[in-house]
Amino acid sequence: MTTAVDAAPETSSGRSVLARVPRPVWPLLAFVVLFAVGGLIRPNLVSVDSLIGTATFALILSIASFGQTVAVIQAGIDLSVPNTIGFAALSFLAWVGPLGPVGAFVAALLSGALIGLVNGVVIAKLGLTPIVTTIAMNGLLFGAILLAFNFSELTVVPDFVIGLTSAKVEILGVQMAAVLPLGLALMLVLQLVLSFSGWGRSLFVVGSAAETARLAGLNVDRIRISGYLLSGVLAAFAGIVIVGYYQQASATMGANYLLSSVAAVVVGGASIFGGRGSVVGTVGGALVLGQVSTLVTVLNLGANIQQLIYGVIILVVISLYGRRSTA
Amino acid sequence: MSTLVTPRRLLDRSGVVRLRREGAIPPIGAFLLFLLVYVIINPSLLTRFQLQTAVNLVVPLALVALGQLIIVLVGGIDISIGATMSLANVVFASQTESLPTAVAMVLALLVGLACGVFNGLLVAYGGLPAIAVTLASAFIFGSLAREVLDRPGGDISKEFYLATSGEFVPFVPIALVWLAVVAVLLWLLLQRTALGRHIYGVGSSMDSVRAAGLDDRRTTLIAFGLAGLVTAMGAILLAGSTLTGDPRSGDSYLLSSIAAVALAGAAFTGGRGSIIGTILAACTLGLIGNLLFFAGVNSYWQYVISALIIVAVVGVPVVWRMLSFRMKGGRS
Repeated sequence: MTTAVDAAPETSSGRSVLARVPRPVWPLLAFVVLFAVGGLIRPNLVSVDSLIGTATFALILSIASFGQTVAVIQAGIDLSVPNTIGFAALSFLAWVGPLGPVGAFVAALLSGALIGLVNGVVIAKLGLTPIVTTIAMNGLLFGAILLAFNFSELTVVPDFVIGLTSAKVEILGVQMAAVLPLGLALMLVLQLVLSFSGWGRSLFVVGSAAETARLAGLNVDRIRISGYLLSGVLAAFAGIVIVGYYQQASATMGANYLLSSVAAVVVGGASIFGGRGSVVGTVGGALVLGQVSTLVTVLNLGANIQQLIYGVIILVVISLYGRRSTA
Repeated sequence: MSTLVTPRRLLDRSGVVRLRREGAIPPIGAFLLFLLVYVIINPSLLTRFQLQTAVNLVVPLALVALGQLIIVLVGGIDISIGATMSLANVVFASQTESLPTAVAMVLALLVGLACGVFNGLLVAYGGLPAIAVTLASAFIFGSLAREVLDRPGGDISKEFYLATSGEFVPFVPIALVWLAVVAVLLWLLLQRTALGRHIYGVGSSMDSVRAAGLDDRRTTLIAFGLAGLVTAMGAILLAGSTLTGDPRSGDSYLLSSIAAVALAGAAFTGGRGSIIGTILAACTLGLIGNLLFFAGVNSYWQYVISALIIVAVVGVPVVWRMLSFRMKGGRS
């Protein structure tokens, strides 16, 4: 999954050793290098506070990108992530009144599941391309958001979500927002599911060779549909987390995550053609993007330059390992 | 094209067959139905002012969708198309302040071409996936656009507005003329030149193109450059009709250009897609909001309805094939 092919076993040259390094190590390594570079420029950047600040930003982006990771691994893409985030966040806040916080939480996750289920069924059963299906879903959800909420301001966030996200917790004597351990825990659970469950393994097989998977007797349609379903649930969860952390919600709150969720996944070493990727890598990718953002802020370069650097990083990453294997 | 176009020739079976093969029949049907409903609900569409407003609304989308179509024909997808549009738009609007409009236009077109060539080089000669390359350049071009002009502005003359978005001759909105010129040139290029057939060929069967000794990389590069050029034309016409340059003006065109190409029945694996289908699909998607407004329905429904139209037009033929396949299979 993460390592490259075990090719050339006899020639233990430096190249093949490098190829054996698990992919998620690279973005994490890049993050460490960027962190060190930051320290060289501004020594006070090498502090626990600075690290926590970057990591908090990165984990929020990661949570929004976990669903995208699952979609990309199975050779799809989920462009409905932005408005799934917005829809889940707004409906969660709207449902807190009638259903109570926990009921609203469950209902919002279920709505994410339903969104993912429809995406999956249309893609797997009707055979529409993932891009078209999820763009249509994204548009449909935007309509639903505007019709149901009409730019109304919903700002009452229940305490238990604040406790999950923006409340300060102390771990090993370090103060951090609760979203940080929450994101890491979610990463751990998802990575275990992807790496060690039969379903997780089959997701990779479907992503790299759907026809082979079919011939091997896997129920490809069911795996695809469940993959999109998980992607929808994770995007909905991200919506609730974002509401909890920033304590505000709007119709367009997901817009920034359209490109940046794909960016985190790609920088995290996933193949855009499917069959390769990991949530640990996605967190690494988000950390790299987060550290760039920190450096840009410290050096006072402006938010524009940050976007430019994001673009260059993606180009560097895909030219390192994004090439078509056949070309 | 030099032969006489007689009605008989227009109905030539091969033309219809081609439209069907390119998947253009469903979007044409959808557009005609949509237009009928529109005119019934709002007969005043055919008045000068409303027609012109409607045309100015859909022409930029139609041009950007044509740009997206060319990329899709070679089997790619352009995530950076909105950013390319924003960049060309602000370059044009900001340069009109100091340079003659014609020079600013050429500059904007060159910027669009450069964006396309940048993507094309990386995709064709770098062997990188189009979706990842254009994801990266979406960040880069978007950032450059905000460097050129960080808030809506620029100085676009009244004359330019009249020349791009006014009425050239009474009852003929000029934007439609420009769209028609681009569409016909593009149609000639794609259907009547070797290059055009190579573009379709690269998308439908890369191996055959290579086996035939044709240069698939050069063709891909030219397709990306062409798409950038057409996108820049869309950006210029958008600047002409809104009278400003806006670094975020292209953002909403990313998803809607892909939606229009999907609705046009193009195959995202490449090699299939028609110009007329794409233009009519863009018209349908662009005008749904207007129709709902005149029908007295909350125009937010446009997002829901567009999505349902896309899924219906793209999905119904698939379901139809599946059903007919099953019925035939059951009989035998």
